[in-house]
Amino acid sequence: MKSKQNNSNFLMGMLALSVSFPIIVVCSAWFFPGTELWGHFAENLLPELISSTLLLLVGVGIGVSILGTVLAYLVVMVEFPGRSWLEWALFLPFAIPAYVLAFVYLGVFDYSGYAQVWLREYTGMPGFDIRAGSWAIILTFTLVFYPYVYMMARASFKRQKIQMIEAGKMLGAKPFEVFWRISVPLARPAIAAGLLVTLMETLADFGVVSLFNYSTFTTAIYSAWGDFRSIEVAAQLASILVLIAFFLIYFEKKARGKAKYYSSDVSHVRPYEANGLIGWLLFVLVFGVFMLSFAMPMLQLIIWSFEKYGEELSVMYSGYFSATGILTVTATILTVAVATLLALPSRRKAESKTLQMLIRFSTLGYALPGSVMAVGLLYGVQNISLVSIYLGGQSINHILFGSVALLLFAYISRFMAIAYNSTSASSEQIKPVYEQSARLLGSSRIRLIREVYLPMMTPGILAGGLLVAVDVMKELPATYLLRPFGWDTLAIRVFELSSEGLYDRAAIPALMMVFIGAIIMLLFIKLDSDKY
Amino acid sequence: MTRKISILSLLLISTFSVSISSAVIAASDENLTVYSTRKEHLIKPLFDAFTAKTGIKVAYLTGKGGALIERIKLEGKRTKADIFMTVDAGNLWYASTQNLFQAADSELIESNIPSHLRDPDGLWTGLSVRARTIIYSTERVDPNELSTYQDLANAKWEGRLCLRTSKKVYTKSLVSSLIYHDGIEKTTEVVKGWVKNLAATPHAEDVHIMTSILAGQCDVGIVNSYYFGRLQAEDPNVPLKLFWANQDSSGTHVNISGAGIVKHSSSPSEALELLEFLSSIEAQKIYVGLNKEYPASQKLKADNLIAVWGDFNQDKMNLSVAGEKQAESVSLMQREGYK
Repeated sequence: MKSKQNNSNFLMGMLALSVSFPIIVVCSAWFFPGTELWGHFAENLLPELISSTLLLLVGVGIGVSILGTVLAYLVVMVEFPGRSWLEWALFLPFAIPAYVLAFVYLGVFDYSGYAQVWLREYTGMPGFDIRAGSWAIILTFTLVFYPYVYMMARASFKRQKIQMIEAGKMLGAKPFEVFWRISVPLARPAIAAGLLVTLMETLADFGVVSLFNYSTFTTAIYSAWGDFRSIEVAAQLASILVLIAFFLIYFEKKARGKAKYYSSDVSHVRPYEANGLIGWLLFVLVFGVFMLSFAMPMLQLIIWSFEKYGEELSVMYSGYFSATGILTVTATILTVAVATLLALPSRRKAESKTLQMLIRFSTLGYALPGSVMAVGLLYGVQNISLVSIYLGGQSINHILFGSVALLLFAYISRFMAIAYNSTSASSEQIKPVYEQSARLLGSSRIRLIREVYLPMMTPGILAGGLLVAVDVMKELPATYLLRPFGWDTLAIRVFELSSEGLYDRAAIPALMMVFIGAIIMLLFIKLDSDKY
Repeated sequence: MTRKISILSLLLISTFSVSISSAVIAASDENLTVYSTRKEHLIKPLFDAFTAKTGIKVAYLTGKGGALIERIKLEGKRTKADIFMTVDAGNLWYASTQNLFQAADSELIESNIPSHLRDPDGLWTGLSVRARTIIYSTERVDPNELSTYQDLANAKWEGRLCLRTSKKVYTKSLVSSLIYHDGIEKTTEVVKGWVKNLAATPHAEDVHIMTSILAGQCDVGIVNSYYFGRLQAEDPNVPLKLFWANQDSSGTHVNISGAGIVKHSSSPSEALELLEFLSSIEAQKIYVGLNKEYPASQKLKADNLIAVWGDFNQDKMNLSVAGEKQAESVSLMQREGYK
């Protein structure tokens, strides 16, 4: 029994290591000598980039925490007009790729956008450059990424013991005090988990920051690679992102502590009711967020696509659809399968710090820009080829480059964080007592997994799968570099058109993506409502 | 546990092998393969015309310049690429320093394309030309005020200038040409002046520069000619005009889109045939029609729409210089805070 368990620990470790493969390749860039480029960067770029990146992280962090938590609290704890449909509608922005939202916002709110033109005409106020400073980009990121926090916080609020809140009320706590001193502290681990994903994605972003021409750490990575042709320094810089992500995960774990306040039963009683004016004010607030983050951008995309659909729609679209569909489905199944294996509870695993570290490490790919990870993967394959040739074998480059296999591998590495967050959250709720009693009854581990663990983890597995599916569908940089011939996806079409400034045509594939994404989110919501 | 893993690995292996084989099959029924940073909608019509004429089928893969170059390098001798096609001379120059190309020995190309638009060793050739020049509001700017790129650093343009981000290769090549003509010190002063005169954070796209001028955020900017061509095709009365910069000195900075034959191409003679076709009048007409660019061929006049912009003196600097000086120009812009 013991050796079998060790065996399974070993296999899990190997699995985690292979998922980490591109991350390891990127970090190994430190074995190559840096160039004088570091001097130039340290003097002219890094001081500003570090402070602007930190500002962005802090701003977006505060933004999504407040927005996500407040919205979640309102829809769970307060009854107000429109609450029941808004509770689901707030998930929908997940379906919009961040760079699409960014080009819509710039088109509407920048100096030459309708909103400012209208303001200038009717109020006479002077125009302004929304890309100057950092408030507009922070706001944009906040509106794209708040659903992560919203989703986690909402689930946590739903599970809070109603008795604690009633007790608080009876002790005379005002609604805000109950929120701030009881509910938020209880939901802290969930908020931190949503925040972590947001910050990792903000760190890795290249699309939004280039549209706003805002400099972050990724700017230096691409400058090292694109301008100074030093792929080594680019990888060295990228590995710093991995390090930052590692610290973020550490803090998240700290924030979580050992505390588990979850009650397994969910209450449908809403402790507060907002009627009259306050109720409508709450509606306006929540509806406003929905408008700004989903309805308005959708409307703009529809207006743009009306102008150009005749020119843009063609038979090519069946190809974009099938590539998007096949890649999304396969990558999702594989990612979730691996994440489930890694998240299966076992006493041995709980005891092995090394294994836990390895698993954590395998989720760091989410903080790497997609194209850096993709090139890391190409270099990794190249290194294996070199070893193979050295040993008298053959190069494997031509088999793997441009194969669907390598692209799927990139997706698994990149989105492991999303899948693992979901599967591990559901496995953490499985009490060790199951393993003990199974053993007492002489049941095999396979039976335990099949008959107890997997059924209990199913909601987490499905939820993780749907989130990964939306992310894979939206993924651009790794797909762009690694895809085989003829495997253009909708995301690639959006990029090719928008990078030529053809936003109205780009709106068409973008709308299709949002549409598919919204369907996936509806499935997610359906799944979620079955849970309660 | 172990059984589970073996089932999973079987599943993985089967998905992988199916997908690998399907990818190989998909690529093998085409005779020529092009890796391109030019977008699909701008190259497909050219390849369709070539296939119609010669029967040679062309497969293509679009991507970003730096990434595609790495991919060709790593694919080495077994690369599927026969031609690498990209925009901006700097990218072509870099690809040639990475030993990606073989020389194309063709009298036809040499007679079609003028020499400053080709690599001195025949490794790559320009196929279409875009001028990067000054654009201004006809409502707020008197063209007599305009003269050179360098003059846009003059204090009279303070708060009136819009530029594209220094992260875009077109900006880098323009600044490289200034360094080539004026030296690093004078160019530093120019870039400093530009940054001071900016009315808005540098834009991500040339299109945004034009809309910003239209909205009144700024009065002048620098754009690639075809972006203005496209805008004018949609709205002939748009109150913007191109001004040919540096006519009395170095000439207006031009850049190219171009291509070269990949060193390890498996069918170099078909690749040469495609390259020659792309330099021919027939293909050059498609280039011009698709994207309002200038033909690279000296045998063809520009499209009607862009012909009315008038003739101009091109900067005759050999475009490989744009690449050689790129790192220098980027460090200069980063030092001066040109974002």
